[in-house]
Amino acid sequence: MLTAFVAVTLTFFALRLGGGDPTDSLMAQNLVAPEQLAAVRASLGLDQPLILQYASFLAGLLRLDLGVSLFNKRPVLTVIAEQLAPTLQLATAGLLMAILLGLGLGILSAWSRKRMAADGARWVSNLATGLPVALTGILAILLFSVTPLGHLPGMSLGWTRGLLLPALVLGFASAGAIARAVNTELTRSRSEPYMSAAAARGLQHGPRLLWHALRPALPLVISLCALQAAFLFAGTVVTETVFSRPGIGRLLVSSILQRDYPVAQGLVVLAALIYTLSQVVADSLALLVDPRLRGGS
Amino acid sequence: MNGRLGVALAIAWLGAILVFALLAPLLSTHDPLQPVAAPLNGPSLSMPLGSDALGRDVWSRLAYGARLTLAAATLSTTLTVVIGSVLGLAAAASGGWTDRTIVAAANAALAIPGLVLAMLIVAAIGPSLTAVVLAVGLGAVPGFARLARTTFLQVRERAYVTASGALGAGRWWRARHHLLPNAWPSLASLTTTHFAWALLGITTLTFLGLAGDPSLPEWGAMLNSGRQHLLDAPRLALLPGLAIALTVLAVHRLGDRSAAGGSSGGSSG
Repeated sequence: MLTAFVAVTLTFFALRLGGGDPTDSLMAQNLVAPEQLAAVRASLGLDQPLILQYASFLAGLLRLDLGVSLFNKRPVLTVIAEQLAPTLQLATAGLLMAILLGLGLGILSAWSRKRMAADGARWVSNLATGLPVALTGILAILLFSVTPLGHLPGMSLGWTRGLLLPALVLGFASAGAIARAVNTELTRSRSEPYMSAAAARGLQHGPRLLWHALRPALPLVISLCALQAAFLFAGTVVTETVFSRPGIGRLLVSSILQRDYPVAQGLVVLAALIYTLSQVVADSLALLVDPRLRGGS
Repeated sequence: MNGRLGVALAIAWLGAILVFALLAPLLSTHDPLQPVAAPLNGPSLSMPLGSDALGRDVWSRLAYGARLTLAAATLSTTLTVVIGSVLGLAAAASGGWTDRTIVAAANAALAIPGLVLAMLIVAAIGPSLTAVVLAVGLGAVPGFARLARTTFLQVRERAYVTASGALGAGRWWRARHHLLPNAWPSLASLTTTHFAWALLGITTLTFLGLAGDPSLPEWGAMLNSGRQHLLDAPRLALLPGLAIALTVLAVHRLGDRSAAGGSSGGSSG
Protein backbone atom coordinates (compact mmCIF):
# COMPACT_ATOMS: atom_id res chain seq x y z
CA MET A 1 0.00 0.00 0.00
CA LEU A 2 2.82 2.35 1.01
CA THR A 3 4.61 1.36 -2.18
CA ALA A 4 1.59 2.30 -4.28
CA PHE A 5 1.32 5.63 -2.45
CA VAL A 6 4.96 6.55 -3.07
CA ALA A 7 4.55 5.58 -6.73
CA VAL A 8 1.52 7.83 -7.03
CA THR A 9 3.38 10.74 -5.41
CA LEU A 10 6.32 10.19 -7.74
CA THR A 11 3.97 10.32 -10.73
CA PHE A 12 2.37 13.55 -9.57
CA PHE A 13 5.60 15.44 -9.01
CA ALA A 14 7.36 14.05 -12.12
CA LEU A 15 4.58 15.43 -14.29
CA ARG A 16 4.38 18.80 -12.48
CA LEU A 17 8.10 19.48 -12.15
CA GLY A 18 9.06 18.15 -15.58
CA GLY A 19 8.54 21.60 -17.00
CA GLY A 20 6.02 22.33 -19.67
CA ASP A 21 2.63 23.71 -18.83
CA PRO A 22 -0.34 21.70 -20.12
CA THR A 23 -1.97 24.93 -21.25
CA ASP A 24 0.94 25.50 -23.68
CA SER A 25 -0.19 22.57 -25.79
CA LEU A 26 -3.84 23.63 -25.47
CA MET A 27 -2.82 27.01 -26.86
CA ALA A 28 -0.72 25.46 -29.60
CA GLN A 29 -3.70 23.44 -30.77
CA ASN A 30 -5.92 26.53 -30.71
CA LEU A 31 -8.19 24.99 -28.12
CA VAL A 32 -7.76 27.98 -25.83
CA ALA A 33 -7.54 31.64 -26.80
CA PRO A 34 -4.83 33.74 -25.06
CA GLU A 35 -7.39 35.92 -23.28
CA GLN A 36 -9.07 32.84 -21.76
CA LEU A 37 -5.77 31.51 -20.45
CA ALA A 38 -6.05 32.77 -16.88
CA ALA A 39 -9.60 31.50 -16.56
CA VAL A 40 -8.67 28.06 -17.91
CA ARG A 41 -5.68 27.84 -15.58
CA ALA A 42 -7.90 28.71 -12.65
CA SER A 43 -10.50 26.13 -13.64
CA LEU A 44 -7.80 23.44 -13.81
CA GLY A 45 -6.40 24.52 -10.45
CA LEU A 46 -3.03 25.29 -12.03
CA ASP A 47 -2.84 28.74 -10.42
CA GLN A 48 -2.58 27.26 -6.95
CA PRO A 49 0.67 26.39 -5.17
CA LEU A 50 2.00 22.92 -5.97
CA ILE A 51 1.45 21.59 -2.48
CA LEU A 52 -2.25 22.54 -2.58
CA GLN A 53 -2.60 20.90 -5.99
CA TYR A 54 -1.02 17.76 -4.51
CA ALA A 55 -3.40 17.82 -1.54
CA SER A 56 -6.46 18.14 -3.72
CA PHE A 57 -5.12 15.39 -6.00
CA LEU A 58 -4.77 13.03 -3.03
CA ALA A 59 -8.21 13.99 -1.69
CA GLY A 60 -9.67 13.27 -5.12
CA LEU A 61 -7.88 9.93 -5.28
CA LEU A 62 -9.55 8.83 -2.05
CA ARG A 63 -12.93 9.59 -3.62
CA LEU A 64 -11.80 7.72 -6.78
CA ASP A 65 -11.83 11.07 -8.57
CA LEU A 66 -8.87 11.39 -10.91
CA GLY A 67 -9.80 14.77 -12.33
CA VAL A 68 -10.96 15.62 -15.84
CA SER A 69 -9.22 15.24 -19.18
CA LEU A 70 -7.69 18.51 -20.35
CA PHE A 71 -9.03 17.98 -23.85
CA ASN A 72 -12.61 16.81 -23.72
CA LYS A 73 -13.29 17.81 -20.10
CA ARG A 74 -14.68 14.36 -19.33
CA PRO A 75 -13.82 12.60 -16.05
CA VAL A 76 -10.55 10.65 -16.34
CA LEU A 77 -12.11 7.60 -14.68
CA THR A 78 -14.81 7.43 -17.36
CA VAL A 79 -12.28 7.87 -20.18
CA ILE A 80 -10.16 5.04 -18.77
CA ALA A 81 -13.14 2.79 -18.00
CA GLU A 82 -14.34 3.03 -21.61
CA GLN A 83 -11.04 1.69 -22.89
CA LEU A 84 -10.47 -0.86 -20.15
CA ALA A 85 -12.51 -3.81 -21.47
CA PRO A 86 -10.55 -4.50 -24.70
CA THR A 87 -7.24 -4.19 -22.83
CA LEU A 88 -8.38 -6.54 -20.07
CA GLN A 89 -9.43 -9.10 -22.69
CA LEU A 90 -6.09 -8.81 -24.46
CA ALA A 91 -4.03 -8.92 -21.25
CA THR A 92 -5.91 -11.93 -19.83
CA ALA A 93 -5.66 -13.86 -23.08
CA GLY A 94 -2.01 -12.83 -23.36
CA LEU A 95 -1.19 -13.99 -19.83
CA LEU A 96 -2.89 -17.32 -20.55
CA MET A 97 -0.82 -17.73 -23.72
CA ALA A 98 2.35 -16.77 -21.83
CA ILE A 99 1.72 -19.42 -19.16
CA LEU A 100 0.80 -22.13 -21.68
CA LEU A 101 3.73 -21.37 -23.99
CA GLY A 102 6.14 -20.83 -21.10
CA LEU A 103 5.26 -24.08 -19.33
CA GLY A 104 5.27 -25.98 -22.61
CA LEU A 105 8.65 -24.68 -23.76
CA GLY A 106 10.18 -24.99 -20.29
CA ILE A 107 9.05 -28.58 -19.79
CA LEU A 108 10.11 -29.53 -23.30
CA SER A 109 13.59 -28.07 -22.87
CA ALA A 110 14.22 -29.69 -19.46
CA TRP A 111 12.35 -32.92 -19.87
CA SER A 112 12.46 -34.05 -23.48
CA ARG A 113 14.69 -37.04 -24.10
CA LYS A 114 15.14 -35.95 -27.69
CA ARG A 115 18.11 -33.62 -27.87
CA MET A 116 16.69 -31.80 -30.90
CA ALA A 117 13.38 -31.01 -29.23
CA ALA A 118 15.06 -29.75 -26.07
CA ASP A 119 17.50 -27.54 -27.99
CA GLY A 120 14.72 -26.27 -30.22
CA ALA A 121 12.56 -25.33 -27.23
CA ARG A 122 15.48 -23.50 -25.60
CA TRP A 123 16.17 -21.68 -28.84
CA VAL A 124 12.56 -20.57 -29.20
CA SER A 125 12.42 -19.29 -25.62
CA ASN A 126 15.64 -17.32 -26.13
CA LEU A 127 14.09 -15.87 -29.26
CA ALA A 128 10.97 -14.92 -27.31
CA THR A 129 12.92 -12.75 -24.85
CA GLY A 130 14.91 -11.04 -27.59
CA LEU A 131 12.37 -10.25 -30.28
CA PRO A 132 10.65 -6.88 -29.95
CA VAL A 133 6.85 -7.15 -29.70
CA ALA A 134 6.56 -4.75 -32.62
CA LEU A 135 8.46 -7.14 -34.89
CA THR A 136 6.63 -10.34 -33.84
CA GLY A 137 3.35 -8.48 -34.31
CA ILE A 138 4.28 -7.39 -37.81
CA LEU A 139 5.52 -10.88 -38.69
CA ALA A 140 2.24 -12.36 -37.43
CA ILE A 141 0.18 -9.93 -39.49
CA LEU A 142 2.26 -10.67 -42.59
CA LEU A 143 2.02 -14.40 -42.03
CA PHE A 144 -1.74 -14.30 -41.83
CA SER A 145 -2.40 -11.83 -44.62
CA VAL A 146 0.09 -13.01 -47.24
CA THR A 147 0.26 -16.78 -46.78
CA PRO A 148 -2.71 -19.17 -47.19
CA LEU A 149 -2.70 -19.52 -43.38
CA GLY A 150 -5.08 -16.59 -43.20
CA HIS A 151 -7.61 -18.30 -45.43
CA LEU A 152 -7.92 -21.44 -43.34
CA PRO A 153 -11.51 -22.05 -42.25
CA GLY A 154 -12.14 -20.18 -39.01
CA MET A 155 -9.13 -17.93 -39.43
CA SER A 156 -11.09 -15.10 -40.96
CA LEU A 157 -13.45 -14.87 -37.99
CA GLY A 158 -13.31 -11.56 -36.21
CA TRP A 159 -12.12 -12.83 -32.86
CA THR A 160 -9.19 -14.84 -34.25
CA ARG A 161 -7.74 -11.80 -35.96
CA GLY A 162 -8.93 -9.46 -33.26
CA LEU A 163 -7.93 -11.33 -30.13
CA LEU A 164 -6.14 -14.63 -30.74
CA LEU A 165 -3.31 -13.25 -32.84
CA PRO A 166 -2.57 -10.21 -30.62
CA ALA A 167 -2.77 -12.41 -27.52
CA LEU A 168 -0.34 -14.89 -29.06
CA VAL A 169 2.10 -12.10 -29.91
CA LEU A 170 1.78 -10.55 -26.44
CA GLY A 171 2.04 -13.91 -24.66
CA PHE A 172 5.07 -15.00 -26.68
CA ALA A 173 7.05 -12.02 -25.38
CA SER A 174 6.51 -13.09 -21.76
CA ALA A 175 6.77 -16.82 -22.40
CA GLY A 176 10.57 -16.75 -22.69
CA ALA A 177 11.20 -15.70 -19.09
CA ILE A 178 8.68 -18.24 -17.75
CA ALA A 179 10.15 -21.03 -19.89
CA ARG A 180 13.65 -20.24 -18.60
CA ALA A 181 12.52 -20.39 -14.96
CA VAL A 182 10.61 -23.65 -15.49
CA ASN A 183 13.64 -25.15 -17.23
CA THR A 184 16.03 -24.16 -14.41
CA GLU A 185 13.73 -25.39 -11.66
CA LEU A 186 12.96 -28.70 -13.38
CA THR A 187 16.63 -29.37 -14.05
CA ARG A 188 17.45 -28.67 -10.43
CA SER A 189 14.63 -30.74 -8.94
CA ARG A 190 15.67 -33.71 -11.07
CA SER A 191 18.69 -34.35 -8.82
CA GLU A 192 16.72 -33.97 -5.56
CA PRO A 193 16.36 -37.06 -3.33
CA TYR A 194 12.56 -37.02 -3.60
CA MET A 195 12.86 -37.64 -7.33
CA SER A 196 15.01 -40.75 -6.76
CA ALA A 197 12.50 -41.84 -4.15
CA ALA A 198 9.63 -41.39 -6.58
CA ALA A 199 11.51 -43.34 -9.24
CA ALA A 200 12.25 -46.08 -6.70
CA ARG A 201 8.56 -46.30 -5.91
CA GLY A 202 8.03 -47.13 -9.58
CA LEU A 203 6.95 -43.77 -11.08
CA GLN A 204 7.86 -43.90 -14.73
CA HIS A 205 9.24 -41.05 -16.83
CA GLY A 206 5.83 -39.63 -17.62
CA PRO A 207 3.16 -37.17 -16.59
CA ARG A 208 3.03 -38.35 -12.97
CA LEU A 209 6.75 -38.02 -12.46
CA LEU A 210 6.68 -34.65 -14.23
CA TRP A 211 4.03 -33.36 -11.79
CA HIS A 212 6.21 -34.61 -8.96
CA ALA A 213 9.10 -32.49 -10.25
CA LEU A 214 7.04 -29.52 -11.28
CA ARG A 215 5.09 -28.92 -8.07
CA PRO A 216 7.98 -27.58 -5.96
CA ALA A 217 8.83 -25.21 -8.83
CA LEU A 218 5.35 -23.68 -9.00
CA PRO A 219 5.73 -20.88 -6.39
CA LEU A 220 8.61 -19.37 -8.33
CA VAL A 221 6.72 -19.70 -11.60
CA ILE A 222 3.66 -18.03 -10.06
CA SER A 223 5.58 -15.05 -8.74
CA LEU A 224 7.26 -14.73 -12.12
CA CYS A 225 3.84 -14.71 -13.79
CA ALA A 226 2.80 -11.88 -11.45
CA LEU A 227 5.85 -9.90 -12.56
CA GLN A 228 4.92 -10.65 -16.16
CA ALA A 229 1.38 -9.41 -15.48
CA ALA A 230 2.83 -5.98 -14.77
CA PHE A 231 5.08 -6.32 -17.81
CA LEU A 232 2.04 -7.22 -19.92
CA PHE A 233 0.62 -3.78 -19.20
CA ALA A 234 3.58 -2.28 -21.05
CA GLY A 235 3.36 -4.97 -23.72
CA THR A 236 -0.27 -4.17 -24.47
CA VAL A 237 0.77 -0.63 -25.42
CA VAL A 238 2.79 -1.95 -28.35
CA THR A 239 0.42 -4.79 -29.23
CA GLU A 240 -2.53 -2.40 -29.41
CA THR A 241 -0.58 -0.05 -31.66
CA VAL A 242 0.55 -2.83 -34.02
CA PHE A 243 -2.89 -4.41 -34.33
CA SER A 244 -4.74 -1.06 -34.24
CA ARG A 245 -6.83 -2.22 -31.30
CA PRO A 246 -8.54 0.24 -28.99
CA GLY A 247 -7.42 0.14 -25.35
CA ILE A 248 -5.69 1.89 -22.50
CA GLY A 249 -2.26 1.33 -24.02
CA ARG A 250 -3.05 3.56 -26.96
CA LEU A 251 -4.80 5.95 -24.61
CA LEU A 252 -1.54 6.27 -22.66
CA VAL A 253 0.46 7.05 -25.81
CA SER A 254 -2.03 9.61 -27.10
CA SER A 255 -2.34 11.27 -23.69
CA ILE A 256 1.46 11.65 -23.55
CA LEU A 257 1.66 13.05 -27.08
CA GLN A 258 -1.16 15.51 -26.30
CA ARG A 259 0.25 16.25 -22.84
CA ASP A 260 -3.08 15.38 -21.27
CA TYR A 261 -1.58 15.06 -17.76
CA PRO A 262 -4.65 13.94 -15.79
CA VAL A 263 -5.23 10.98 -18.13
CA ALA A 264 -1.55 9.92 -18.22
CA GLN A 265 -1.39 10.27 -14.44
CA GLY A 266 -4.51 8.16 -13.96
CA LEU A 267 -3.10 5.40 -16.19
CA VAL A 268 0.23 5.28 -14.33
CA VAL A 269 -1.64 5.10 -11.02
CA LEU A 270 -3.64 2.21 -12.49
CA ALA A 271 -0.42 0.44 -13.57
CA ALA A 272 1.02 0.77 -10.04
CA LEU A 273 -2.20 -0.58 -8.53
CA ILE A 274 -2.25 -3.55 -10.93
CA TYR A 275 1.36 -4.33 -10.02
CA THR A 276 0.70 -4.17 -6.26
CA LEU A 277 -2.45 -6.28 -6.59
CA SER A 278 -0.79 -8.93 -8.73
CA GLN A 279 1.96 -9.28 -6.10
CA VAL A 280 -0.64 -9.88 -3.40
CA VAL A 281 -2.53 -12.41 -5.53
CA ALA A 282 0.71 -14.20 -6.41
CA ASP A 283 1.74 -14.44 -2.75
CA SER A 284 -1.57 -15.98 -1.71
CA LEU A 285 -1.55 -18.34 -4.71
CA ALA A 286 1.95 -19.47 -3.79
CA LEU A 287 0.75 -20.21 -0.24
CA LEU A 288 -2.08 -22.27 -1.70
CA VAL A 289 0.19 -24.37 -3.90
CA ASP A 290 3.22 -24.83 -1.67
CA PRO A 291 2.70 -26.25 1.83
CA ARG A 292 6.35 -25.49 2.70
CA LEU A 293 5.56 -21.78 2.77
CA ARG A 294 2.61 -22.19 5.14
CA GLY A 295 4.32 -23.79 8.14
CA GLY A 296 7.16 -21.40 9.00
CA SER A 297 5.89 -17.96 9.86
CA MET B 1 22.28 -22.34 -31.62
CA ASN B 2 25.14 -24.09 -29.88
CA GLY B 3 27.77 -22.39 -27.80
CA ARG B 4 30.80 -21.44 -29.87
CA LEU B 5 29.08 -20.81 -33.19
CA GLY B 6 26.42 -18.68 -31.53
CA VAL B 7 28.99 -16.51 -29.75
CA ALA B 8 31.04 -16.14 -32.94
CA LEU B 9 27.97 -15.09 -34.92
CA ALA B 10 26.95 -12.65 -32.18
CA ILE B 11 30.38 -11.02 -32.15
CA ALA B 12 30.41 -10.86 -35.96
CA TRP B 13 26.99 -9.19 -36.08
CA LEU B 14 27.80 -6.67 -33.35
CA GLY B 15 31.13 -5.87 -35.02
CA ALA B 16 29.40 -5.30 -38.35
CA ILE B 17 26.78 -3.04 -36.75
CA LEU B 18 29.48 -1.07 -34.98
CA VAL B 19 31.35 -0.52 -38.26
CA PHE B 20 28.05 0.48 -39.84
CA ALA B 21 27.45 3.01 -37.08
CA LEU B 22 30.95 4.49 -37.14
CA LEU B 23 31.28 4.66 -40.92
CA ALA B 24 27.68 5.65 -41.72
CA PRO B 25 28.70 8.74 -43.77
CA LEU B 26 31.10 6.64 -45.89
CA LEU B 27 28.84 3.62 -46.34
CA SER B 28 25.66 5.49 -47.13
CA THR B 29 25.08 6.29 -50.78
CA HIS B 30 22.46 9.03 -50.39
CA ASP B 31 21.26 11.65 -47.95
CA PRO B 32 19.12 9.75 -45.39
CA LEU B 33 16.76 12.70 -44.92
CA GLN B 34 16.09 13.83 -48.51
CA PRO B 35 13.89 12.18 -51.14
CA VAL B 36 16.20 10.93 -53.89
CA ALA B 37 13.93 8.66 -55.93
CA ALA B 38 10.29 7.80 -56.61
CA PRO B 39 8.51 6.50 -53.50
CA LEU B 40 8.48 2.75 -52.81
CA ASN B 41 11.00 1.85 -55.54
CA GLY B 42 12.17 -1.74 -55.42
CA PRO B 43 15.83 -2.65 -54.95
CA SER B 44 18.11 -1.48 -57.78
CA LEU B 45 21.84 -1.23 -58.47
CA SER B 46 22.21 2.32 -57.16
CA MET B 47 19.80 1.75 -54.27
CA PRO B 48 20.31 -1.86 -53.10
CA LEU B 49 17.39 -1.77 -50.65
CA GLY B 50 15.08 0.51 -52.60
CA SER B 51 13.36 3.66 -51.41
CA ASP B 52 10.79 4.26 -48.68
CA ALA B 53 7.35 5.86 -48.82
CA LEU B 54 8.88 9.33 -49.19
CA GLY B 55 11.51 8.27 -51.74
CA ARG B 56 14.43 8.21 -49.32
CA ASP B 57 17.20 5.62 -49.65
CA VAL B 58 16.53 2.72 -47.24
CA TRP B 59 20.16 1.55 -47.15
CA SER B 60 21.46 4.96 -46.07
CA ARG B 61 18.69 5.34 -43.50
CA LEU B 62 19.55 1.94 -42.01
CA ALA B 63 23.24 2.90 -41.80
CA TYR B 64 22.51 6.21 -40.06
CA GLY B 65 19.90 4.34 -38.02
CA ALA B 66 22.61 2.07 -36.62
CA ARG B 67 24.49 5.17 -35.50
CA LEU B 68 21.50 6.89 -33.90
CA THR B 69 20.03 3.76 -32.30
CA LEU B 70 23.32 2.46 -30.86
CA ALA B 71 24.32 5.91 -29.61
CA ALA B 72 20.93 6.34 -27.91
CA ALA B 73 21.12 2.92 -26.27
CA THR B 74 24.74 3.48 -25.15
CA LEU B 75 23.96 6.89 -23.66
CA SER B 76 20.94 5.69 -21.75
CA THR B 77 22.79 2.57 -20.52
CA THR B 78 25.61 4.79 -19.25
CA LEU B 79 23.10 6.95 -17.41
CA THR B 80 21.48 3.93 -15.76
CA VAL B 81 24.71 2.18 -14.85
CA VAL B 82 26.46 5.25 -13.39
CA ILE B 83 23.53 6.52 -11.32
CA GLY B 84 22.39 3.01 -10.39
CA SER B 85 25.86 1.89 -9.28
CA VAL B 86 26.46 5.05 -7.23
CA LEU B 87 23.12 4.60 -5.45
CA GLY B 88 23.74 0.88 -4.98
CA LEU B 89 27.23 1.50 -3.61
CA ALA B 90 25.99 4.24 -1.29
CA ALA B 91 23.28 1.94 0.05
CA ALA B 92 25.57 -1.08 0.48
CA ALA B 93 28.51 0.83 1.97
CA SER B 94 26.65 3.02 4.44
CA GLY B 95 23.86 0.72 5.62
CA GLY B 96 21.43 2.04 8.21
CA TRP B 97 18.84 4.58 7.23
CA THR B 98 20.58 5.63 3.97
CA ASP B 99 20.29 2.02 2.85
CA ARG B 100 16.67 1.76 3.97
CA THR B 101 15.69 5.00 2.20
CA ILE B 102 17.32 4.02 -1.09
CA VAL B 103 15.78 0.54 -1.04
CA ALA B 104 12.32 1.88 -0.18
CA ALA B 105 12.49 4.49 -2.95
CA ALA B 106 13.66 1.91 -5.47
CA ASN B 107 10.89 -0.51 -4.51
CA ALA B 108 8.26 2.19 -4.81
CA ALA B 109 9.49 3.22 -8.26
CA LEU B 110 9.54 -0.45 -9.28
CA ALA B 111 5.77 -0.63 -8.71
CA ILE B 112 5.57 1.18 -12.04
CA PRO B 113 6.76 -1.15 -14.83
CA GLY B 114 10.07 0.10 -16.31
CA LEU B 115 8.63 0.97 -19.69
CA VAL B 116 5.64 2.80 -18.21
CA LEU B 117 8.00 4.74 -15.91
CA ALA B 118 9.99 5.69 -19.00
CA MET B 119 6.80 6.83 -20.74
CA LEU B 120 5.94 8.89 -17.67
CA ILE B 121 9.29 10.66 -17.94
CA VAL B 122 8.70 11.34 -21.65
CA ALA B 123 5.32 12.77 -20.66
CA ALA B 124 7.02 15.07 -18.17
CA ILE B 125 9.73 16.33 -20.55
CA GLY B 126 7.77 16.28 -23.79
CA PRO B 127 8.30 13.93 -26.76
CA SER B 128 11.78 14.00 -28.40
CA LEU B 129 14.66 11.58 -28.94
CA THR B 130 16.60 13.20 -26.06
CA ALA B 131 13.58 12.67 -23.82
CA VAL B 132 13.43 9.01 -24.88
CA VAL B 133 17.14 8.49 -24.05
CA LEU B 134 16.75 10.20 -20.66
CA ALA B 135 13.52 8.33 -19.94
CA VAL B 136 14.85 4.87 -20.70
CA GLY B 137 18.05 5.69 -18.79
CA LEU B 138 16.35 7.09 -15.69
CA GLY B 139 13.42 4.66 -15.85
CA ALA B 140 15.76 1.72 -15.31
CA VAL B 141 17.73 3.29 -12.43
CA PRO B 142 15.59 1.81 -9.60
CA GLY B 143 15.93 -1.74 -10.90
CA PHE B 144 19.63 -1.40 -11.60
CA ALA B 145 20.34 0.25 -8.24
CA ARG B 146 18.72 -2.68 -6.46
CA LEU B 147 20.72 -5.23 -8.45
CA ALA B 148 23.95 -3.26 -7.90
CA ARG B 149 23.27 -3.04 -4.15
CA THR B 150 22.86 -6.83 -3.96
CA THR B 151 26.12 -7.27 -5.83
CA PHE B 152 28.00 -4.90 -3.49
CA LEU B 153 26.45 -6.55 -0.43
CA GLN B 154 27.72 -9.94 -1.59
CA VAL B 155 31.25 -8.54 -1.76
CA ARG B 156 30.87 -6.79 1.60
CA GLU B 157 30.18 -10.13 3.33
CA ARG B 158 33.49 -11.61 2.20
CA ALA B 159 36.07 -12.28 4.91
CA TYR B 160 38.78 -9.94 3.59
CA VAL B 161 36.41 -6.97 3.71
CA THR B 162 35.49 -7.75 7.32
CA ALA B 163 39.21 -8.17 8.03
CA SER B 164 40.10 -4.78 6.56
CA GLY B 165 37.31 -3.27 8.66
CA ALA B 166 38.81 -4.88 11.76
CA LEU B 167 42.20 -3.41 10.80
CA GLY B 168 40.65 0.04 10.94
CA ALA B 169 39.77 0.75 7.31
CA GLY B 170 36.89 3.18 7.03
CA ARG B 171 33.60 2.52 5.31
CA TRP B 172 34.37 4.60 2.22
CA TRP B 173 37.95 3.34 1.96
CA ARG B 174 36.53 -0.18 1.85
CA ALA B 175 33.91 0.90 -0.70
CA ARG B 176 36.58 2.28 -2.99
CA HIS B 177 39.30 -0.33 -2.57
CA HIS B 178 37.28 -3.52 -2.02
CA LEU B 179 33.64 -3.24 -3.07
CA LEU B 180 34.07 -1.40 -6.35
CA PRO B 181 36.95 -3.41 -7.88
CA ASN B 182 35.63 -6.78 -6.74
CA ALA B 183 32.04 -6.17 -7.80
CA TRP B 184 33.22 -5.01 -11.21
CA PRO B 185 32.91 -8.34 -13.10
CA SER B 186 29.30 -8.83 -11.96
CA LEU B 187 28.48 -5.20 -12.75
CA ALA B 188 29.93 -5.56 -16.23
CA SER B 189 27.72 -8.56 -16.90
CA LEU B 190 24.67 -6.69 -15.55
CA THR B 191 25.57 -3.81 -17.87
CA THR B 192 25.65 -6.09 -20.91
CA THR B 193 22.19 -7.49 -20.15
CA HIS B 194 20.96 -4.00 -19.47
CA PHE B 195 22.21 -2.69 -22.81
CA ALA B 196 19.90 -5.13 -24.59
CA TRP B 197 16.99 -3.95 -22.44
CA ALA B 198 17.81 -0.30 -23.15
CA LEU B 199 17.95 -0.94 -26.89
CA LEU B 200 14.55 -2.65 -26.77
CA GLY B 201 13.16 0.14 -24.59
CA ILE B 202 14.38 2.93 -26.82
CA THR B 203 13.18 1.35 -30.04
CA THR B 204 9.84 0.57 -28.39
CA LEU B 205 9.31 4.20 -27.37
CA THR B 206 10.40 5.54 -30.74
CA PHE B 207 8.16 2.91 -32.38
CA LEU B 208 5.26 4.40 -30.41
CA GLY B 209 6.11 7.80 -31.87
CA LEU B 210 7.43 9.26 -28.60
CA ALA B 211 10.59 10.60 -30.29
CA GLY B 212 8.38 13.27 -31.80
CA ASP B 213 9.97 13.54 -35.25
CA PRO B 214 8.85 10.62 -37.48
CA SER B 215 11.46 11.38 -40.17
CA LEU B 216 14.39 10.45 -37.87
CA PRO B 217 16.52 7.67 -39.35
CA GLU B 218 16.20 5.55 -36.19
CA TRP B 219 15.31 1.84 -36.28
CA GLY B 220 12.24 2.03 -34.04
CA ALA B 221 10.80 5.04 -35.87
CA MET B 222 11.54 3.36 -39.23
CA LEU B 223 9.76 0.20 -38.05
CA ASN B 224 6.73 2.31 -37.22
CA SER B 225 6.56 4.24 -40.47
CA GLY B 226 7.17 1.02 -42.43
CA ARG B 227 3.98 -0.40 -40.99
CA GLN B 228 1.84 1.65 -43.36
CA HIS B 229 3.23 -0.30 -46.33
CA LEU B 230 3.32 -3.74 -44.80
CA LEU B 231 1.65 -5.40 -47.78
CA ASP B 232 3.18 -3.56 -50.73
CA ALA B 233 6.72 -3.09 -49.33
CA PRO B 234 7.22 -5.32 -46.27
CA ARG B 235 11.00 -4.72 -46.27
CA LEU B 236 10.43 -1.18 -44.97
CA ALA B 237 9.27 -2.59 -41.62
CA LEU B 238 11.11 -5.92 -41.65
CA LEU B 239 14.66 -4.61 -42.17
CA PRO B 240 14.80 -2.24 -39.18
CA GLY B 241 12.82 -4.78 -37.12
CA LEU B 242 15.32 -7.53 -37.89
CA ALA B 243 18.23 -5.18 -37.18
CA ILE B 244 16.83 -4.48 -33.70
CA ALA B 245 16.05 -8.14 -33.02
CA LEU B 246 19.45 -9.46 -34.17
CA THR B 247 21.31 -6.84 -32.13
CA VAL B 248 19.31 -7.63 -28.98
CA LEU B 249 19.75 -11.39 -29.47
CA ALA B 250 23.49 -10.98 -30.07
CA VAL B 251 23.93 -8.92 -26.89
CA HIS B 252 21.88 -11.49 -24.95
CA ARG B 253 24.15 -14.23 -26.25
CA LEU B 254 27.28 -12.40 -25.06
CA GLY B 255 25.58 -11.58 -21.75
CA ASP B 256 24.74 -15.25 -21.12
CA ARG B 257 28.33 -16.08 -21.88
CA SER B 258 29.85 -13.53 -19.50
CA ALA B 259 27.31 -14.23 -16.76
CA ALA B 260 28.69 -17.72 -16.22
CA GLY B 261 27.93 -17.66 -12.51
CA GLY B 262 26.39 -14.23 -12.19
CA SER B 263 22.77 -13.19 -12.05
CA SER B 264 20.58 -12.93 -15.09
CA GLY B 265 17.28 -11.40 -16.02
CA GLY B 266 18.39 -7.80 -16.16
CA SER B 267 16.19 -5.05 -14.86
CA SER B 268 13.18 -5.80 -17.00
CA GLY B 269 10.85 -5.37 -14.01
